Amino acid sequence: MKSLRARLLLAASVVLTGFVALCGLSLEQAFEDSALNAEEDELHGIVYALLGSADPTPDGQLTIRNAELPDARLVRPQSGLEAAVLDQNGDVVWSSPSAGDDLPDLKPAEVGAWHFHHSPDRFLLTYGVRWVDPPQRYTVMVIEDSKTFRDQVGVYRRTLWAWLVGISVALLIAQFLVLRWGLSPLRRLVAELRGIESGGQASVQSAYPDELTPLTGALNAMIVAERNQQTRYRNALGDLAHSLKTPLAVMRGLEGRLTNPDNQRALADQVARMQHIVDYQLRRAAAAGSRTLSEPVAVAPLAEKVVSALSKVYAARKLAFDLRVPASLKVRADEGDLYELVGNLLDNACKWAKSRIALSIEEAPRRLTLTVDDDGPGFPEDVESLATRGVRADSQVPGQGIGLSTIAELLKAYNGTMQLARSPLGGAQVRIDLPT
Amino acid sequence: MRVLVVEDDPSLREQIASFLGEEGFVVEKAADGEQGLYMASEYPLDLAVLDLGLPKASGIEIIKRTRKAGKSYPILILTARDGWQSKVEGLEAGADDYLVKPFHREELLARARALLRRSGGWATATLESGPIVLDTTSKSVKVDGNAVELTSYEYRVLEYLLTHAGKVISKTELTEHLYSDDAERDSNVIEVFIRRLRAKLDPEATLNPIATLRGAGYRWDLPRA
Repeated sequence: MKSLRARLLLAASVVLTGFVALCGLSLEQAFEDSALNAEEDELHGIVYALLGSADPTPDGQLTIRNAELPDARLVRPQSGLEAAVLDQNGDVVWSSPSAGDDLPDLKPAEVGAWHFHHSPDRFLLTYGVRWVDPPQRYTVMVIEDSKTFRDQVGVYRRTLWAWLVGISVALLIAQFLVLRWGLSPLRRLVAELRGIESGGQASVQSAYPDELTPLTGALNAMIVAERNQQTRYRNALGDLAHSLKTPLAVMRGLEGRLTNPDNQRALADQVARMQHIVDYQLRRAAAAGSRTLSEPVAVAPLAEKVVSALSKVYAARKLAFDLRVPASLKVRADEGDLYELVGNLLDNACKWAKSRIALSIEEAPRRLTLTVDDDGPGFPEDVESLATRGVRADSQVPGQGIGLSTIAELLKAYNGTMQLARSPLGGAQVRIDLPT
Repeated sequence: MRVLVVEDDPSLREQIASFLGEEGFVVEKAADGEQGLYMASEYPLDLAVLDLGLPKASGIEIIKRTRKAGKSYPILILTARDGWQSKVEGLEAGADDYLVKPFHREELLARARALLRRSGGWATATLESGPIVLDTTSKSVKVDGNAVELTSYEYRVLEYLLTHAGKVISKTELTEHLYSDDAERDSNVIEVFIRRLRAKLDPEATLNPIATLRGAGYRWDLPRA
């Protein structure tokens, strides 16, 4: 069960169904009991009325005149209500005009004893009396067809269940709406987290119910901590680079002071090797990679800054930059990495370009494409093989390859790809695809 | 040319200073950001070489405040943080070029010279004006294709005047930019150098490349090529 809402709805439905079912059954039972009691009471009444109207016949038996029958149904044949009086031998001494021939054979009842009996299709009440004149024991018997009763109970049952089902449905709908409303802050939080993930926003911002506030607070704290961690890490790397490279710069400066050319070459080789190791390892470590919680970085201003910096550095070359970056484009990546990527791509293009360089950045769903074109000599040979060979060569021997090793290292951290081609401008084209 | 070197590592600072000194620059040295900031805004400079990671005040801070104070001489930043972010930050603050540590001395020299040329409005490593050609890389001077032998100080005066061709340069400015503090500052010496330069570059006195403006100073008067 993955969804919280599904869980709550399922639980609510089970509880509700159980409750409604038990409720329905007990109501049904109660109604049937009370209807049965009413039936018995009615039959009692008829028995008493019959006894009240009974007269002795000349031949020493009991009879009841039709005119004195307490219920009109006793007169009408097949009305469903029948009555009879039996003597102590169980013989019928009187029966109502409504009675058929199929009166049940009964043992005479004890004097003063009531017997109520109901079978699926009829109710039977018997009462034993001792008559003073003629001195006889009689049994009065009333039979009522239970069809009316069954109809009544049936109607009740149908009404009852119709209402209960209706109420259940209404309650489930209410429950659904309540859940929707109750869980809406969670949905909002999820949407905000997605926004943070996609780079649309920097932190969880809107107000949440008291129960969620500790959670959102903790999330924001975590995001900030993660970012600070990245910054600290980067600064530490910067310090490390500084403390390693300054002595290297001194050693490199000493090269010129050595008079023996062999020593000079040996020192130069070693310094170059150390520098390469330091560069390579620091670069690898510095590539932060795609971080879920990175603050979204606006790309256009970043690219413009790099271009204006490069225009300064290559001022003498009078290069024309054509920048096509959507102004609103924000990318969830480490800012330093983006600087590295754009800086190295453009710097490389600047080194080779005659006069024109174009950078375009496009955003597709879950993908970012950077294309850098120049009008320089282009890549010298089969670009496919150069892509890997050039990068590999450069990452091992500084000054060789095509100057894209930092980019290659970054692309590893971001699972990006690089393609080299001939540019429409006539020179080289480097295309970078980054999953976002 | 007077260069400020701000670098907190003593050995690297001394190395750059002595190297630039050998190449004919007048070098000022600062060991931290505070000292660097003072020198950068108070001294008559032609170029500053700044480390970015400095104690007391960062290189970025120095660049910003120097530019704010209206100084326009070129600034070359030295950075160990070869990240583009810090390069861009430095260049955005007002630096003109960067050099990543460790670097070859020749690379530093080439960048420094290129910046100096650029600040004077020259695009190439050779400054050509009339029949006079000054090669900043080999530090040689030719007139009509014939090499002219100059002393180190003569060369510096010529390079300064030619770099700022068309601008009036006072004697004080020349001494400030060509002599270190401890050197003798006698404006008569400048007059001597100018006279010798005129004699060497223009023995027939037909070109008159250097004009003397009474009470104001000197000006390179030949058009730039």
